[in-house]
Amino acid sequence: MLTVRNLLRPTRRVHAHCDIPCGVYDPEQARIEAESCMKIIEKYDASDDEVFRARCIDVKEERAELVKHHLDVLWHDYFKPEHLEKYPNLHETFWKATKQASKVKQGVDAGAARELLSMIDTIDEMWKSTGGPEKTRVNGRPS
Amino acid sequence: MIQQGGRAWPLLFALGLVAGAAGSVALLRRLDVVEVAGSSMAPGLLPGDRLLVESISYARRRPAAGEVVLARDPRSPARELIKRVADVQGSRLQLRGDAPEASTDSRDFGAVAVDGVRWRAILRYWPPGRAGRLPGASG
Repeated sequence: MLTVRNLLRPTRRVHAHCDIPCGVYDPEQARIEAESCMKIIEKYDASDDEVFRARCIDVKEERAELVKHHLDVLWHDYFKPEHLEKYPNLHETFWKATKQASKVKQGVDAGAARELLSMIDTIDEMWKSTGGPEKTRVNGRPS
Repeated sequence: MIQQGGRAWPLLFALGLVAGAAGSVALLRRLDVVEVAGSSMAPGLLPGDRLLVESISYARRRPAAGEVVLARDPRSPARELIKRVADVQGSRLQLRGDAPEASTDSRDFGAVAVDGVRWRAILRYWPPGRAGRLPGASG
């Protein structure tokens, strides 16, 4: 059936492609998606329109998946063994944050989404204190 | 005469409906919606952004510098790229990502043939907070 929802569903993915590990990393990417999750949950809670609420869940799950993706990339590609020496709890921090992202994906708990934000902020501090803004952003990171 | 005219109206109406439907289908086939993957167009376009693309303009004219277009990756034709036209050189286009330090584009695979570029990105409709015409989109 031809519905507005079907019309707006992307028919394909197009690639803003970069095939070199380019060394550009920033926890902000994960944070923006996590903020989306939190705001969407708030909108979900405030609405009694079932169609809107269904869309909220759909989009929130998608965004939570992106949080996991961005955290994984930081974890695998940015952080190096010397960072682990400085932060022995690095692996556990990421493990917990990505688990928290799964929790946000599965549920509609605004508290869980806020907790996820604070976990990403912890990772952000690790990224900053290991020279992330200067090393991985072009001309440093706009503050 | 009056009777004949009266009988003609339903026919005209039906023809109008058919023409309208055919026109709508033709228009829909020249519009499409796509989702962005990858970050080489950041900060303008981010992964997950959903865009309206159209193939009307390039049926009539060539792409112009500054426009955001879809093109086959010459090295891997299954992959459809989204990049900005940096320069038009005859029948070849130089494509660039907006984040040049994090983009694979014409600097790596050379200029692409203008004939292969049919779709132009004109607006973002998702996420709603950043919905609107794309920066640099003309016409």
